Amino acid sequence: MASTTAAVTEPRTYLEYKRFSAFHRWMHFLVFVSFTVLVFTGMPLKYKETHWAKWVMDAVGGVTAAGVYHRIAALVTVFYWTCEVLLMVYVVFRNRGRGVFAPGSIMPNKKDWADIKGMFRWFFGRGPKPQFDRFTYWEKFDFMSLVGGTVIIGLTGFIMWFPMTFTKVLPGVFINVALVIHSNEALLAAGVIFIFVHLFSAHLRPESWPIDKVIFTGSLPLEHYKEERPLEYARRVQEGTLGEVLVVRRITWRTRLTDVIWYGITAVAGLAAVLMTVFIVWSIFS
Amino acid sequence: MTALAALAAFGLLALSGLAAAQTVGPNAEAEKCLSCHGDQSLGTIDVGGVQKTLFVDATVYGTSLHGLLDCTSCHLGFKPRRHVAAESANWLETAKLTACGNCHADQFAMYSGSFHGHLALGQTGSNAPLCADCHLAHNVVDVHSTAFRRSILDLCGRCHGGRSSTYLDSYHGKAALLGDNATAVCTDCHGAHRILPASDPASTISKQSIVQTCAKCHPGANRNFAGFLVHVDPRSPHSNFWVWLFYAFYITLIVCIFTFGGVHTALYIYRGFKDGLYNRRGH
Repeated sequence: MASTTAAVTEPRTYLEYKRFSAFHRWMHFLVFVSFTVLVFTGMPLKYKETHWAKWVMDAVGGVTAAGVYHRIAALVTVFYWTCEVLLMVYVVFRNRGRGVFAPGSIMPNKKDWADIKGMFRWFFGRGPKPQFDRFTYWEKFDFMSLVGGTVIIGLTGFIMWFPMTFTKVLPGVFINVALVIHSNEALLAAGVIFIFVHLFSAHLRPESWPIDKVIFTGSLPLEHYKEERPLEYARRVQEGTLGEVLVVRRITWRTRLTDVIWYGITAVAGLAAVLMTVFIVWSIFS
Repeated sequence: MTALAALAAFGLLALSGLAAAQTVGPNAEAEKCLSCHGDQSLGTIDVGGVQKTLFVDATVYGTSLHGLLDCTSCHLGFKPRRHVAAESANWLETAKLTACGNCHADQFAMYSGSFHGHLALGQTGSNAPLCADCHLAHNVVDVHSTAFRRSILDLCGRCHGGRSSTYLDSYHGKAALLGDNATAVCTDCHGAHRILPASDPASTISKQSIVQTCAKCHPGANRNFAGFLVHVDPRSPHSNFWVWLFYAFYITLIVCIFTFGGVHTALYIYRGFKDGLYNRRGH
């Protein structure tokens, strides 16, 4: 009995798998905040005839203020996008010996296609669940659609931000096309992030339910890691590189407090995402 | 003498501005008319095939910009008694040429030369708007007021519904609907009194003057910039092919990705419940 009490009061230490560096976590935080701001200041314009659009616009301080926040968040997006791309270039350069599409890379490879087919077989009970390496195909899609989508939405956004500069060269109809692309790419991104890929696959799928804190804490319990990413684990054991990704995580009141804060922020963001999703779905079908 | 009258009128206007709106009522002359026309049960009258009410709301009229004027300033020739046919028969035909122009000569001259004016004044029974169709007869408000600016979309949209819906798809329209009062509305580009078709060189939206019109709000606007299509329907390939092409491409892409995402998510949840994966203890 005494030892149990001591275990609760003493800081508890775990051996954990370090999945994300501080850089990754800061980048994610910037994406998280800027994306939410962009959606809430931009989507009302797409669904301008609805009551909720007026309500959201008034809540964020009106169209003019929303435009300012939208542009600030756009600059944050440019910043994180540049950092991500520099990181990708660095990783590709570092891994040049192993191959850019090697297991563990964020780049899509043949195994992803096999995994998609394998997952559908598993869904219908016709095979075992595929085993994954560091990144699953939906995580690669999530990341690549963000990096790629940002180029499209960024370029069209800048055309509309600086129409005078762009029309020195381009005909005026490019502004019209830019609006159509920007607005629909935004709907695509919001749908992917708020429902199908990010909210579900990061938090709501059975393996992570109800919340996956790894992007906030950086590491996850070794047992969970072995189960979630068996191929990476096996690969690292074989390569003898497991030590590179092992960290000792101490559970203290500070880590508990941080957990509570992240739970809170994720819950608020999740609710906002669900709210915006309901608004959009309602507008599309009404 | 005119200067004195103008001064007096200005003084009265200033006073009306100072006084609370409710305390300014129709003047004594107008009261005579309102003794009958203030009655809601008065019925309607046929004006060019349209049934118009004979009732005038004293408060609305009294608080309008024209609230201090006699009714007969516009309803020329009417006497405060049971009207005889001779008074009212051709009143509109006369009034549309004189009633507003008597005081607002500059605006009326511009309107007379406009597309609307040509239609409305040139022929009887035209549907083209007269002054009061946009400014409202008994509820004339300050055209620089936010309320009037906001009402312009609906005023023009009553006849130009298709145009106003494409306008609402542009950033100007979106911002206007969501409460931005500085953004361009119909009259900022097309003009108000002197609206002319784009084919007329004198029009604000003609090839010759469109760049200048854009430059009112967008200093440095050039020919390409002015080539931006304000009224384009992305849903129609006949409106602008390129805009439609990108719209159609994105709708297809969105439907495909959302369908795949939806099916993938639904099956994942199904398998999760079926295999009891949601019931396991937290990780």
